[in-house]
Amino acid sequence: MADIVEKWKKLREPGYFGKFDYHWGMVIDLDRCSGCEACVVACQAENNLPIVGEKRFAQNREIKWLRIERYWEGEYPDAKVTFLPMLCQQCDQAPCETACPVFATYHNQDGLNTQVYNRCIGTRTCAVYCPYEVRYFNWFTYQWDEPLEQQLNPDVSVREKGVMEKCTFCIQRIRDAKDQAKDRGDRVRDGEVTPACVQACPTEAMVFGDFNDPDSAVSRAAEDERHYRVMEKLNTQPSIVYLTRVEHHD
Amino acid sequence: MSVSVLAALRTFKKYALIALAVIVGFTAGHWVNAAFYSENAPVQPIEFSHKIHAQDNEIPCMHCHVHVARSINATVPSVNKCMNCHRNMPGVWETPEIVKLRGYWERQEPIPWIKVHDLPDFAYFPHKRHIQAGVDCANCHGDVAGMDRVKQVEPLKMQWCLDCHNERQVEHGRDCWTCHK
Ligand code: HEC
Ligand code: HEC
Ligand code: HEC
Ligand code: HEC
Ligand code: HEC
Repeated sequence: MADIVEKWKKLREPGYFGKFDYHWGMVIDLDRCSGCEACVVACQAENNLPIVGEKRFAQNREIKWLRIERYWEGEYPDAKVTFLPMLCQQCDQAPCETACPVFATYHNQDGLNTQVYNRCIGTRTCAVYCPYEVRYFNWFTYQWDEPLEQQLNPDVSVREKGVMEKCTFCIQRIRDAKDQAKDRGDRVRDGEVTPACVQACPTEAMVFGDFNDPDSAVSRAAEDERHYRVMEKLNTQPSIVYLTRVEHHD
Repeated sequence: MSVSVLAALRTFKKYALIALAVIVGFTAGHWVNAAFYSENAPVQPIEFSHKIHAQDNEIPCMHCHVHVARSINATVPSVNKCMNCHRNMPGVWETPEIVKLRGYWERQEPIPWIKVHDLPDFAYFPHKRHIQAGVDCANCHGDVAGMDRVKQVEPLKMQWCLDCHNERQVEHGRDCWTCHK
């Protein structure tokens, strides 16, 4: 018994994830985000996300691994809107992982919260446990009309009915970078992995990289005094750090 | 008075015989199918023999499967590659199989080879990682050099992958997302 308690404590220790190979994370500067949704489109194209159609969208069955939240202040014409890109926070203490009855979602050695589609049996418990509402369920097997199926990404599985899915931090690109790094007998260098959303962002509001490396662009960006994590009080320890908007007063 | 089942069965003799014939037919058909037309060894559009090329003439695997050590896919050679050798080989210029090959060359068409080893689309299998780690082709493909027609000899199931990864203690070789995508 004491043994188990010891082990458990060790796992709960802060910095436990420091022993991982990489600790992929992202910094999103809300002051730069203009809400253009280029990232949303890039994500859709990269990760074979289906277009669910108007009717199902109205039924809250859309699939968008990355969405832009809008916050309105004031009334028209004095309205002010702020944007917040919301995607899977790749929590180090992910509530969804404890929920899955078949371990289809788990934490891998890269500090990523991953979802094994083959293993998923579609209980949707993880989506209920997720405080960020970023897990999406395939209520149907969606089709791609010709010639759209030609643009499907071969490095990403096309999910079927009954499977939960969510942002993977473009794990296929991480895998590719690691594969190439292995070819030269090295580790992935800073800047070699760029998820589709980061690549598409015209204002460079997003930075991606390895938090284990103190010199990486993402680690340095996270040191900004504007940093915060969404719903920090839940102790989910997200891997995404946001930089708050700077308020401009006349 | 004795009771015999045989008497009762006699009425069904015809049906029993038909059933027997059907069973024998299915079994034989299944065997013929597995032995000669199996998906494990599909009949290819050209009777290309690895035995003639890789064993008898000792052409190295990587002369044809050029990308196997540096790409995810092993890839099958283009018609151009076949012709590089075969246009200089008048000895077998007129044989039926080479006439087929020349047909593809003249029509500028790729040969529609049937894929023998085929993992599901959700699996990620990089050839180069294995070849660079010194895993021999024969571990996974059997003795291809001795085959006239390529046959799948290993199950290619997940358990099979994991068994070897466990045995060789591959780093992260059991992480689901190493092989799933
Ligand atoms: C002269 C060129 C050539 C050489 C040399 C050669 N191959 Fe092939 N190989 C082919 C062609 C063409 C095919 C596709 C036709 C077929 O499946 O028979 C093929 C198919 C295969 C396949 C099956 C691919 C599938 O569809 O799953 C395997 C496995 C294979 N080769 C392994 C080897 C190995 C191992 C060697 C070395 C011992 C080798 N090859 C040498 C040309 C070659
Ligand atoms: C490196 C040279 C080389 C390449 C490349 C090559 N072959 Fe051959 N091929 C040979 C040799 C040598 C023979 C044996 C000829 C003999 O028996 O005299 C042969 C024999 C054959 C035969 C049997 C001929 C017969 O009917 O007896 C076929 C069929 C054949 N090759 C098809 C192919 C195809 C298809 C390709 C392309 C995937 C190919 N070869 C690529 C060298 C080559
Ligand atoms: C660790 C096991 C393993 C080793 C070692 C291996 N292969 Fe494969 N090979 C596979 C699997 C699994 C597939 C099926 C891949 C797929 O369907 O995506 C395959 C497919 C192929 C194909 C079909 C074409 C393709 O790209 O899918 C060829 C050709 C081939 N292998 C040749 C070779 C040769 C030549 C070697 C040795 C230099 C080799 N393989 C070593 C497991 C292996
Ligand atoms: C005969 C042994 C053997 C078999 C069978 C085998 N592997 Fe491997 N595999 C290895 C070895 C050894 C490595 C380590 C390569 C390295 O360290 O670079 C490896 C590495 C890998 C990697 C890369 C891991 C990384 O960190 O880059 C993947 C992916 C992989 N194997 C997938 C598969 C799949 C899928 C199958 C089944 C279809 C399979 N392997 C079957 C021996 C095997
Ligand atoms: C070494 C590579 C490898 C690893 C590691 C691996 N898998 Fe697989 N898995 C495969 C391959 C290859 C297949 C396809 C062949 C088959 O059906 O067995 C497969 C098939 C499956 C299937 C069956 C899918 C279907 O619809 O038939 C499930 C479920 C599955 N894997 C779950 C997992 C889970 C969960 C993990 C992590 C604990 C995992 N796999 C780790 C290679 C791997």
